[in-house]
Amino acid sequence: MGKKKRKQPNVEELLSRPWCYYCERDFEDLKLLISHQKAKHFKCDRCGRRLNTAGGLSVHMNQVHKESLSLVENALPNRQGLEVEIFGMEGIPEDVVQQHNQRLIQNFYQAQADRYAATGNPPAGQNGNGPVKKIKIETAEEIKKRLAEHRARVKNGGLAANPTPPMGVPDGQSPGQSNSPFPPPGGQYPPGYPAQGVPGFTPPPQYPQGGFNYPPGNLPSRPGGNLPAPTGLPPRPGQPGFPSTVDELVAGASRQGDEIEELIRRAELGIPPPKKPDSATPTAGEAAAGEEKKGKKEKDKNVKMIYDDELSPEERMALMPKYAYVPTAA
Amino acid sequence: MAPSTQFELAQPPNDAISSLVFAPEAPTRLLVSSWDKNVYLYDTHTDAEGGGHGTLLQTFEHRAPVMDVCFGADDNEAFSAGMDWTVRRIDLESGDQTVVSKHAAPVRRVVYSREHSLLITASWDNTLHVLNPSNTSLTALTITLPGKPHAMAASPSKVIIAMTSRLVHIYDLAALGASLASGSGAAPEPWQQRESSLKFLTRAVAAMPSDAGYATSSIEGRVAVEWFDASAESQARKYAFKCHRQTGTAEDGAADVVFPVNALAFHPAFGTFASGGGDATVALWDAAAKRRMKIYQKFPDSVAALAFSSDGKYLAIGVCPGFETGMEDYSGEGRTKVVIRELGETEAKGKGAK
Repeated sequence: MGKKKRKQPNVEELLSRPWCYYCERDFEDLKLLISHQKAKHFKCDRCGRRLNTAGGLSVHMNQVHKESLSLVENALPNRQGLEVEIFGMEGIPEDVVQQHNQRLIQNFYQAQADRYAATGNPPAGQNGNGPVKKIKIETAEEIKKRLAEHRARVKNGGLAANPTPPMGVPDGQSPGQSNSPFPPPGGQYPPGYPAQGVPGFTPPPQYPQGGFNYPPGNLPSRPGGNLPAPTGLPPRPGQPGFPSTVDELVAGASRQGDEIEELIRRAELGIPPPKKPDSATPTAGEAAAGEEKKGKKEKDKNVKMIYDDELSPEERMALMPKYAYVPTAA
Repeated sequence: MAPSTQFELAQPPNDAISSLVFAPEAPTRLLVSSWDKNVYLYDTHTDAEGGGHGTLLQTFEHRAPVMDVCFGADDNEAFSAGMDWTVRRIDLESGDQTVVSKHAAPVRRVVYSREHSLLITASWDNTLHVLNPSNTSLTALTITLPGKPHAMAASPSKVIIAMTSRLVHIYDLAALGASLASGSGAAPEPWQQRESSLKFLTRAVAAMPSDAGYATSSIEGRVAVEWFDASAESQARKYAFKCHRQTGTAEDGAADVVFPVNALAFHPAFGTFASGGGDATVALWDAAAKRRMKIYQKFPDSVAALAFSSDGKYLAIGVCPGFETGMEDYSGEGRTKVVIRELGETEAKGKGAK
């Protein structure tokens, strides 16, 4: 550890990033966006001159090369028009802005949900954008029952490096607590707590083993003993976006504890989560696929082929009377 | 007047374009074969009557639609592949046509290797004919193919034939030449037999001028790049990617529309290549860096054929309506165009592998 952990950007940060009207790419700052636009969309392909706007390029092409510009280069199919005068973030039609923001927000929550499903880490830095998914609230009985099941499972599995952490977080974190998934180190937590709160790590040896050895089965009950919400956990208004029930997570964790540890380690080392469709540098293949980045999963099924036949188009055409050749001798 | 980047040739063919090819020497001499039964010879850079672009130098009428055309040993010799089962040699100066080979079905592709003075023709009768047009005393080789050939391309030392059932055969041109010269009529075995990396019907093949490999494209919006070298590490370098597709919109059920990739052409110097598809676009790709370099503005209709000039300065694009599944009727009349694009100095130059 010790590495600075990469913070997931929150919605506000994402929404505040400047982005390009023509290709929907987003950038660190406005300067970068403007140089992107000049290089990608407003560059004269005749002489390489970079203009400031599409209108400027059009005038340039007209006066210098006696050509007319019909479309903006490298733009998305519906954004190639010259009617809108774009410079940086200026001039983007309101409805397009809305669309863009909506898409960002949607992607953000999707990514968050995916991340949560993969790592068990609750969303970082969330401050009350309203939950997108309902949180399952368990009664005390349910928790006990689950605990019993889990104990049995752990006994069978017999792995002391406990697979519980994903559960530990939702259970262990009460509403008023810090939004960070990793509680700050410090005295206010009982010694057992950090080991449980930092998911996926085996307890570091410096924690006293005597009084607080870690029979995995004890862990879930711990928050109940130490923290102010003894039984039926109160609703957590500040924590939106739990994708699946805690039960699923527990099951998932015991199945793929190692994978999760790996994911968490990656997250902590600052390796970005696998998907962020817009910013990944595409290979040739992905560059092409970039045109259809949304819906990557269902794409293979949901496809309409313009030509799908065993015979080639030429053979089809050759069958038409006007192209057909009838050998005279034969 | 400053030269424009892109223009349409005056007097385009009357019906769909099947193929176009630049001359091996002169970078402005272009042959176009068409379904209107003609082969057209253009000079792309003379002004016809002052205003127009390019001059139609001559047309060569055939009995049936012309499926393919290529240049022969020099700028004045051409070979055409016809729907009428014949392969013809055309003397571009006198206009004389002579039948050099006859198949038992329409001839789909014809390639000429200047290095080996070999003419190879591929027909839907599932055969290849191999002959030396300058030495007609030799009996032409006939090679039976396991599938119907749809695309063929020659590199300096190999010829690649793509057939139905995803079959790809590669012949060594020197071996073909030797068999032809021996006069035994026995055809050599293919140098390599492969299965296409693409799952759908192959549409086009183009060979790298560097003789390292080739690219194929299919009806299902995909292009594969492969290498001749059969070693494991070379084969591991092969790749395929999707292209010439359109993302579906929510209204039409969000189905992505996949277009056939009708044409491929390698740049003579840079190791980059162009692909043209049914989506009416042409894209430039960097084969080494596996990156798309450029995608040109949409043309009015499907891109049927592509060719780079010998000096790599021009790209000829054959534009005509595409034939789609379920079409009962087809006509390229009035919508067929030949677009010549002048490439900027570095427009087709790749950045190199990363």
